[in-house]
Amino acid sequence: MKKSKKETSLILSQVIIAVILFVFILMPFIRMVIGIKKEDIDAIVHSPMFGTAVTNSLKTCITTTIISVLLAMALAFAVQRTGIKGKAFLTVFVTLPMLIPSISVGTSMIVLFGTNGVITNLLHLNNTIYGFWGIVIGAVLYSYPVAFIMFNDVLKYEDASPYEAAQVLGIPKFRRFLAITLPYLKKPLIGAVFSVFSMTVTDYGVPLMIGGKTTTLAVMMYQEVIGQLKFKEGSVIGLFLLIPAFVAFIYNAITSSQPKLAFVSKEYEVKKNRIRDGVSYLLVIAVSLFILILLAAFVMYGFVVRYPRDMTPTLDNVRFFVKIKGLMHLKTSMIISLIVAVIGIAVTFVTAYLTARSGYKSAQFLHLMSMTSLAIPGIVLGLAYVLVFKGTFFYGTLAIIIVVDLMHFFASPYLMMYNSLGKMNQNLEAVGFTLGISRLRMIKDVIIPQIRSTFLEVFSYFFVNSMMTISAVSFLFTYKTKPISLMIGQFEAQMNLECAAIVSLVILVVNLLMKFVIYLIKKQVNRKSISAVNYGS
Amino acid sequence: MFDKDLLVVNNLTKRFDERSLALDNISFTVKEGEFLSVLGPSGCGKTTIMRILIGLTEPTSGKIYMDGVDITDFDSSNRNMGIVFQNYALFENMTVLENVEYALKIRKDRRASARVDALEMIKRMELTEHAQKRPGELSGGQQQRVAIARTLVLNPKIILFDEPMSALDVATRLQLRKELKKIQKEYGTTMIYVTHDQEEAFSLSDRIMVMSEAHIVQMDTPHNIILHPENQYIKDFVIENLKIKIDSLAVYIEDLNHEEE
Repeated sequence: MKKSKKETSLILSQVIIAVILFVFILMPFIRMVIGIKKEDIDAIVHSPMFGTAVTNSLKTCITTTIISVLLAMALAFAVQRTGIKGKAFLTVFVTLPMLIPSISVGTSMIVLFGTNGVITNLLHLNNTIYGFWGIVIGAVLYSYPVAFIMFNDVLKYEDASPYEAAQVLGIPKFRRFLAITLPYLKKPLIGAVFSVFSMTVTDYGVPLMIGGKTTTLAVMMYQEVIGQLKFKEGSVIGLFLLIPAFVAFIYNAITSSQPKLAFVSKEYEVKKNRIRDGVSYLLVIAVSLFILILLAAFVMYGFVVRYPRDMTPTLDNVRFFVKIKGLMHLKTSMIISLIVAVIGIAVTFVTAYLTARSGYKSAQFLHLMSMTSLAIPGIVLGLAYVLVFKGTFFYGTLAIIIVVDLMHFFASPYLMMYNSLGKMNQNLEAVGFTLGISRLRMIKDVIIPQIRSTFLEVFSYFFVNSMMTISAVSFLFTYKTKPISLMIGQFEAQMNLECAAIVSLVILVVNLLMKFVIYLIKKQVNRKSISAVNYGS
Repeated sequence: MFDKDLLVVNNLTKRFDERSLALDNISFTVKEGEFLSVLGPSGCGKTTIMRILIGLTEPTSGKIYMDGVDITDFDSSNRNMGIVFQNYALFENMTVLENVEYALKIRKDRRASARVDALEMIKRMELTEHAQKRPGELSGGQQQRVAIARTLVLNPKIILFDEPMSALDVATRLQLRKELKKIQKEYGTTMIYVTHDQEEAFSLSDRIMVMSEAHIVQMDTPHNIILHPENQYIKDFVIENLKIKIDSLAVYIEDLNHEEE
């Protein structure tokens, strides 16, 4: 009859999760930082390449961030605040670049704007795209979907009541935008700026492919480690790459300490405006057309003998891809992604449950720890793993790839779970206790059934990102554990853009199929809930 | 009217940390079958009492006895008490029937008759036509009835209410007050009701425990509190506020009469 003073299993779970996060995120990182000596820093900072790489990184990233965020905001407005048709389809279409690796986006720049690129030939362009503008266009293409999703979500759930109140008070439209919309968008805007800057500064895929002589910090780090096996130099550069990600982490830690509670008393009503809709159509069609041309160019490159010299359709590139064990690497990637997604669901759920619903004071500490992966770019985490695990049984296995992917992508799906669990009634477990229902049963019968769609989203996030990542895994794979995404760089180095296009298409198709399957399951789950309600009424 | 002491609380203290004292050595008794309201402003400690009584929060010191048995360290589910929270905390993924039936199905001694008992309770709560609906399909009042049914079906000796009506409109509140009194009369269950609303406490209760800053200021019948307020706090917080509400109501009724004329 007497109750146990503490729920031992909950405390034990907290300790286990904290140890996992420490061993696989913080410890490798700390080990990497401790290993850096002052003379290593001096050597890198005073090298002739470093200053140029910093300047190039800053220039390309600042330009990319400005363009990317503005484009994303304009697209989100077009989707959420205008009367254009086919919004659901357009939302999927404009986010397609999220489903391919950054290195594929870099490849697409060559395929479109390279010396023999589709657009170069179509428009008879003479200027080379290699360099600053190539990086910027590629990086915008790679990063704007992330910012778009952020703005799209925020605008979708914006309460329209303040607009109606302002309208009644006779406040002009432009003033309403300044006084209501902009302050409302301030937080997501800052978040988007940090995210876009951080992801572009740490990405080596786009600049490696299209940068030409414009070397960025991420490319420099990649070349030091992969090309010359200079781990110390790589660590020093990694330290610099950490700065924007660290700022983004601090920002996220501050803004996500409480689960988001959405309260919309009135949904936004779009009023008729032909000019606004016309401009929106133009923008959305232009972006969609660009993505369509990009996909068409991949197909064109992949399925003709040699673009543009011999346009005879062929499956030779596919055969070559199969011949050099492309299917094996595809299988490896799919196995990694599936395992990461399944374990990812379990670990993020347990962690988020402990931080959002356990009520322990230590939950805040675990919450902060769970977000540390945001502060460590994938490429830095990968290098840290090399330094810590090289020479152990773990190194060179599929397990290390799975763990590094899991840890690298941990923070965002963790936050999805945290927000879903945090939004649920905080007294559910308390009611359960008084009714004699154990916490585990409550989780199984009440909590999990209510967040099934979040489970699906988390699964999709882990799967898609593990399929296309080239960052953390790039220093850790062996021939047997090599993910398919890393074949693109290999083909590009062999000047085999045709096969690079095939690989990019394969990754896109697999990710699209996964998204479609998740969509169908979600629909089924929602239908079940609706039919249950209809049956009742 | 109420003879038997059901719940005896002795020297209850709750300190969350060095600075915050939520309850300061309070003692009181609850009689079997009575409706006791715990009235006080936000932060006075009334919800803490509730959580300690049901076993969701541990007291720093003090004892709780039910029918003479020390239940201070008992698990929530073994105290023979139920609770209805402000937002009801219904299981959104389950139908009304499943909500009421769920706890019964888990108890070995009730499992066999779970469906029959749940349907019977739903019928008594006049929820039969909503049995297959989910909580999101119900009005605030219906949700409250489901929450009470879910608790009542386990035959608790005491039901605790944590400001269950604060999110409802005036008309629904008035209707629910009547229903609550009706349920209590029918089942004879002891009810402890936490509220910051003077009008609610005075219209529902057999006795009221007025709290301020972790202390009980006065505990008596509504009649005695009005006639014999123990100090200025009771006069200001309880009686003056009640007067304002009654005056407003009088003006409103007068206006309505004028309009009808």
